[in-house]
Amino acid sequence: MWKRYRSALVSVGIILALVVLAYAGLGATKAASVLLSGLTLAALYFLMAAGLSLIFGLMDVLNFAHGVLFMVGAYIGYSTFGNPRLLLNTLPLVLTLVAGVMVGTWVARPLHTWEQGLRRRVAAGEAGSGGRQIAANVFARLTPSLALAVLGIAVAVWAARGFPISSLVAFETTATGGAISTAVAQEALAPMLGRLVRLALAGLLLGPVFIRGDDESQCRGAAWRRIAAVAALVAAGAVLLLARDPLEGFMMGLSIDIRFALALLAGAITGALLGGLIESVLVRPFYGNVVTQIVLTLGLSFVGVELVEAVWGPEGRPPMAVPSFFAESCRSPNLFAWFTESCSSIDVLGRAFPTYRLFIIAVGVVILVAVGVLLRYSRLGMIIRAGVQDREMVEALGINVRRVFTLVFALGSALAALGGVVAAPFIGVYPEMGGIFQLQGFIAVVIGGMGSYLGTAVGSLLIGLARAFGDALVTAGITFPWAEQPFMASPALARASTVLIMAVVLLVRPAGIFGKKE
Amino acid sequence: MTNILEVNHIHTFIGQFQILEGVSLDVPEGSITALLGRNGAGKTTTLKSILGLTPPRRGQVIFGGQEIQGRRAYDIAALGIGYVPEHRAVFTQLTVQENLKIAERKKGDLERKAEFIFSLFPDLKRFYRLPGGNLSGGQQQMLSIARALVPDNHLLLIDEPSEGLAPVLIEQLMEAIQRLSAELTVLLVEQNFKMASHLASRYVIIDDGRTVRSGLMPDLVGDKQTIHRYLGAAVERG
Repeated sequence: MWKRYRSALVSVGIILALVVLAYAGLGATKAASVLLSGLTLAALYFLMAAGLSLIFGLMDVLNFAHGVLFMVGAYIGYSTFGNPRLLLNTLPLVLTLVAGVMVGTWVARPLHTWEQGLRRRVAAGEAGSGGRQIAANVFARLTPSLALAVLGIAVAVWAARGFPISSLVAFETTATGGAISTAVAQEALAPMLGRLVRLALAGLLLGPVFIRGDDESQCRGAAWRRIAAVAALVAAGAVLLLARDPLEGFMMGLSIDIRFALALLAGAITGALLGGLIESVLVRPFYGNVVTQIVLTLGLSFVGVELVEAVWGPEGRPPMAVPSFFAESCRSPNLFAWFTESCSSIDVLGRAFPTYRLFIIAVGVVILVAVGVLLRYSRLGMIIRAGVQDREMVEALGINVRRVFTLVFALGSALAALGGVVAAPFIGVYPEMGGIFQLQGFIAVVIGGMGSYLGTAVGSLLIGLARAFGDALVTAGITFPWAEQPFMASPALARASTVLIMAVVLLVRPAGIFGKKE
Repeated sequence: MTNILEVNHIHTFIGQFQILEGVSLDVPEGSITALLGRNGAGKTTTLKSILGLTPPRRGQVIFGGQEIQGRRAYDIAALGIGYVPEHRAVFTQLTVQENLKIAERKKGDLERKAEFIFSLFPDLKRFYRLPGGNLSGGQQQMLSIARALVPDNHLLLIDEPSEGLAPVLIEQLMEAIQRLSAELTVLLVEQNFKMASHLASRYVIIDDGRTVRSGLMPDLVGDKQTIHRYLGAAVERG
């Protein structure tokens, strides 16, 4: 009994000790609001760390692109919320590209089959000898589909050239139009149609590299269903493009709460789609090759930051407006009063605390419980828990583990992106936000024990509280019962506190609090 | 008797190392076939090659009349092949129930098979809600076999079931395998020659990644020379 719950008890003990120390040093009032600030940070760290932990636990992948997903989620959410015209103008292009790729994967299947046959013959040494073999080897590596893909990228660049992205991104407006009116900012329909055609062609050319020869699932399913999917994509793109003006007016006319909900949804969906794409294109070919995966995802994180800077500019934006539940400028005496008054802050033992941060904490708790329930009680959760231990055996039971990998990657990415949107009204959006939260997320995962879900939650809690109390120490100093003068820490200590905790935990338990010894 | 499984001259590599250099074997439907050979002869790799966990680079694997080499492991398993790996590979974090439930391929598989499974291994019913990691070695072996019985499998690949078990448990296990072989075909890798010769009606011997002998088990039992040449150490230990 003691052995089983030792980790949990020890971590609860550490947290309690911290809180008691804080109460003694800061006084109850200050300590309570610092505690809540810590929980706010902990919730955001958890949204980041949960995906990192799931992905590492199941697939042994250290996803260094996770912070970018957090940041991109924040930007997409902010755009949806503040001014959707950027999304309305770019979504048709993306949908057309995807439709083109889908058609490309079927059209080029014979080519792919032929290339695979060639590669197999070269591997088996049946492609002749001497110069002929070398030629076949080179050709099998630099395949026609790769050449087509290069051509496809060139066409895509051609299609995207001159797209008026910088005038479309006006961000903080709440009225239709913004700094530059939408009518001026966006391109006329005719040149947009030209772009669509070019992107469809680019998609066709890119198709072959997306074929997964070993995965039959792509060619399963009736032909009519696949054609319907492409038709739906094209139709959705066309409708979005033709109705972009009324749609923009409609979205800006919605209440702030609905727009906020849409922002959360858009961020999470974007995160899931990007995560799935990253897994299937960049990570999947390199399972078991950890260094390649780290280098690829790390590189992707730089590319992602640069892309976001190219679209939205490097300077970032101030905190997003909060929904009306947290918007009235008043201070509610307690939670019940807040339900009717919708005040922006709430009285915590005599000090004002922003109510939106309580919402962040609530989101963190809801996600913690929801993912916990998913892991504990669903079939998917059962497969994930089994896969963390022994992927090969799960596959030997007839379960398509690769598909579970993609799902988990998408799920983790969606959580990070959701975290980004939730954070936007708290800290604003800026290109470096992802990297900062990713570092703390990794620290939380390491403290909790790599791959342990509960451990990740505890790790996030520790890190969040340490940051909040560290900051409080720096600004106020702490009076120990045995000392006369308050102890003043340097700002560097607040920033270093999380790493210090990690060092201490790793010294005591090298595998993390909930980690298993290997 | 038709062959449910035919393996023709497979070559399998693990990394740069060639483990199998031409293994062939036939498994007639409804039989127990023993796959024998010294340590490191390639028995486990043969099972993994059939299942696609280590796909063969050359050669042919035919299951139920269709070629399956080169297909993904989950796809092959779903055709109706159950795998009981060496060292059991029970999911220690999952309960006994979840260990069985995860093997379902259709909803309700476990409910339909539960009675049969509990009649073979009554212990599993007692520890139904306990984590797999809490079971003893013998119980884990039974759970591992039971897991392969949950879906409608036609062929079981069982790797070293008696390894590390007490003699009493081996008896119990032999009885269970005997009973389940009435329902499906078994390809059995076993170092314990007494157990293998008692259970199996046919044998295949591989040595250094090649099939060297195969035939009916009674013929092998009398053939001291072959046993000595290819199985010596293993038989003396068993």
